[in-house]
Amino acid sequence: MAILEIKHVSKFFGGLAANSDVSFEMSEGMIMGLIGPNGAGKTTLFNCITGYYPPSKGEVIFDGKKMNGLQPDTVCKLGMARTWQKVRPLAKMTLLDNVMVGALCRTNSLRIAREMAIEQIKVVRMEHKINFLAGGLPIGERKKLEVARVLATQPKLLLLDEVMGGLNPAESDELIQLILDIKSQGKITQMVIEHDMKAIMRISDRVVVLNSGEKLAEGSPQEIVNNPEVITAYLGSEH
Amino acid sequence: MTFSVLVQSIISGLLVGGVYALIGVGLTIIFGVMRVINFAHGDIMMVGMYMTYFLFTLFGVDPFMSVLITMPLMFVFGAIMQKVFINRILGTLPQNQILLTIGLGLIMSNAAMLAFTSDYKILTTSYSSSSFNVAGISISQPLLTSFLITCVITAGLYWFLMKTDTGQAIRATAQDREAAQLMGINVKWMSILSFGIGSAMAGTAGALISPTYYIFPQVGSAFTLKAFVITVLGGMGSIVGATLGGIIIGLVESVAAVTISSDWKDVVVFSIFLLVLLIKPSGLMGKSRM
Amino acid sequence: MKPFNPLFSQRGASAVQVTVGIVVIAALFAFPQFVKSPYVLHMMILFFLSTLMGQSWNIIGGYTGQYSVGHAAYFGTGAYTTLILLSTKEIAPWYGMWLGIAASIILALIIGSICFRLRGPYFVLASIAVAEIVRLTALNLTSITKGAEGILVIDIPAFKIGETVITDFSSKVPYYYIALVLALVIIGVTWLVQHSKLGYYFQAIREDQDAAHSLGINLTIWKNSALVISAAFTSLAGSFYAIFVKFIDPSTVLPLDLSVQIVLISIIGGIGTIFGPVVGSLVLVPLSEALRSNVIAEGLINSGLVSETSGIGIFLKEHLAHAHVLIYGILVVVVILFMPEGVLGYFRKMTAKRKGGKA
Repeated sequence: MAILEIKHVSKFFGGLAANSDVSFEMSEGMIMGLIGPNGAGKTTLFNCITGYYPPSKGEVIFDGKKMNGLQPDTVCKLGMARTWQKVRPLAKMTLLDNVMVGALCRTNSLRIAREMAIEQIKVVRMEHKINFLAGGLPIGERKKLEVARVLATQPKLLLLDEVMGGLNPAESDELIQLILDIKSQGKITQMVIEHDMKAIMRISDRVVVLNSGEKLAEGSPQEIVNNPEVITAYLGSEH
Repeated sequence: MTFSVLVQSIISGLLVGGVYALIGVGLTIIFGVMRVINFAHGDIMMVGMYMTYFLFTLFGVDPFMSVLITMPLMFVFGAIMQKVFINRILGTLPQNQILLTIGLGLIMSNAAMLAFTSDYKILTTSYSSSSFNVAGISISQPLLTSFLITCVITAGLYWFLMKTDTGQAIRATAQDREAAQLMGINVKWMSILSFGIGSAMAGTAGALISPTYYIFPQVGSAFTLKAFVITVLGGMGSIVGATLGGIIIGLVESVAAVTISSDWKDVVVFSIFLLVLLIKPSGLMGKSRM
Repeated sequence: MKPFNPLFSQRGASAVQVTVGIVVIAALFAFPQFVKSPYVLHMMILFFLSTLMGQSWNIIGGYTGQYSVGHAAYFGTGAYTTLILLSTKEIAPWYGMWLGIAASIILALIIGSICFRLRGPYFVLASIAVAEIVRLTALNLTSITKGAEGILVIDIPAFKIGETVITDFSSKVPYYYIALVLALVIIGVTWLVQHSKLGYYFQAIREDQDAAHSLGINLTIWKNSALVISAAFTSLAGSFYAIFVKFIDPSTVLPLDLSVQIVLISIIGGIGTIFGPVVGSLVLVPLSEALRSNVIAEGLINSGLVSETSGIGIFLKEHLAHAHVLIYGILVVVVILFMPEGVLGYFRKMTAKRKGGKA
């Protein structure tokens, strides 16, 4: 059964279409890679899925429920959580407090939230930084903080927006491993926006390519690499 | 209420609106270039009012002529204020910018109170209460004069911003500070310049209304609020919008005063302000939303 | 980076801190037994009142990051409700204040529904506009509020439980205890907020509204909760002020200046901390009182720095009393430019530097 169905989603800003008629499905437990040149509408699609913008047309169906018009907080409570392309740590709160804010989505008890948070901080291997202020952490650790924070909301579907952007190869590897670990637990489905093609090919089960707001192609990583249209889109706009 | 009373109030609203426009334009230039909301704007205007008052009482300079002295002095005043205080908090939390300008406003108004006491001062000229009739409608002479001067100044400012290199540099800075910097525009200088221009506009507005308004140290805060209403209505950062906003608020006040009551006219103005914030926060002419 | 100072931590206090706290509170309760001077008691009452006002604002402004510059609206609502009910219906203040709180909460929800859709400077402007509407309404609804004339009450009815008169409010002492309890209650409430889900959610909203929203935080509900708590206690401060001073008018309990002063208490002390408003009150209350009562002018004259008969001396004596708002202004500018985290944050940073660590 599909956990997420995107049906003919379009988003217009004024007269400009940031997304037009995008459709695809995700099945439970998979990792979907979402790629495309800059300005292809990847983040806009994330925002439409997670309730930051209502889609102008089309439907987003998550876990059998129509998500159109729901607010981001409701979306999160229903089990869909996202990270941000530009990291958004709660700067003047500690790492632990940041992750606890995520966990408090599922409990009213600070004690339980703290336990849940520590568990997720262990998953991203940052126990040693637990009482550090989030604003003072280096970029790689802030990205991991965001992952721990969304994991603490106990999502069924995780949307990671360029979680490896700006990281060095070692840090990227660590995050790739983290994404694969989450997958191997089998509980969380993931959609990953990424610029690093090698990384996306390594982790994704399927890949959707967006170009100028439209879906250009969808298929296994192997199919995408060999798709001539995708090659043209990338060569045409980025090289 | 007769038709002529309504026409009368529309005309005086229009005339006052011209001065409001000047206050609004000053605030909007400052906001456009620096993204700082100047809570001391009305107090800067108050300084202009006192300057005019003393030029008149001590040296006998006509209030409308004194604009020629007030404007450059207030320009320098604003430029120094920018350089010494505002410049240090550009790019920090908007809350801090607001509080800093509130603090500067408090210093100005209370320093004025220490120096000149809180007594109301009235600048009485030979023409303060003179008016003439056109088709049964009486038009106040000082209001008309100040309106005409406002038109000249606003037109001059448009010309400066549109046609001169410096004006274009200011507009470029307002549009995109970083890009302007990359283009080799000295944005720091543009900030000082625009705060100076903004202050000069506020000070001039003060000078222009001083023959028809009470002068006292706390006069500014009411005008600060009015200036916000005007600029938000027109769209923060839009000069055309602020001009339009000023005229609209002048009209609304004046018409509300005769149709509802003069006690409630400010309530009407603030209600419109809230409505604009809720329905179209970008204002009539604004594009960007913070 | 060093781990934060435990005094300001979010977790439990140490035994030493608890002991110090208990001793301070006990001393404050015993204080009127030893100090009888009405003037000193008056100062202490103002200090407690200021703490109450500052801490109330701190919940919405400091913790939740919503800079309301319109809190005079709630202060005035509390003050007016209490005194109108007392003077026209002879309803005792300790009932009136609850109605004041109810009225302020309704007002807060109306203001919240309008202003919380706006962010940053727009929120500030909207909060000012609403407070101005409230002030102008109080000024013009003369049939209810007596307008600019204000409301004066001569006697506060004695506070009785059953037939026993607890106090007849003939001295400053009962006011002292009421103000002390109110200040302790608001500090306790702030502590509870900080140590509950509320505090986490409020601070998350302050740090980043979009991120908070994506983590399952309903912004409307939580921002309004913060405003309601804040408004309720600000209203209580207004009610207390009204029965303490026995006179209110729109220019003392509803002006924009008051809203600004409420904000300053926290800003100067340090926002988003439990002790910030206390420190802010410790700075502001003595300072403005010293200016108001001309202590500074007299001090300058007595010390021989300024001659009493000189122009400056006469000027200072006559005018410095009115300068307390000027000093507020200077303080704000200094604090924003040099101690953006308030006095408390500044000293914390200084101590951290001296210890060689990085704050």
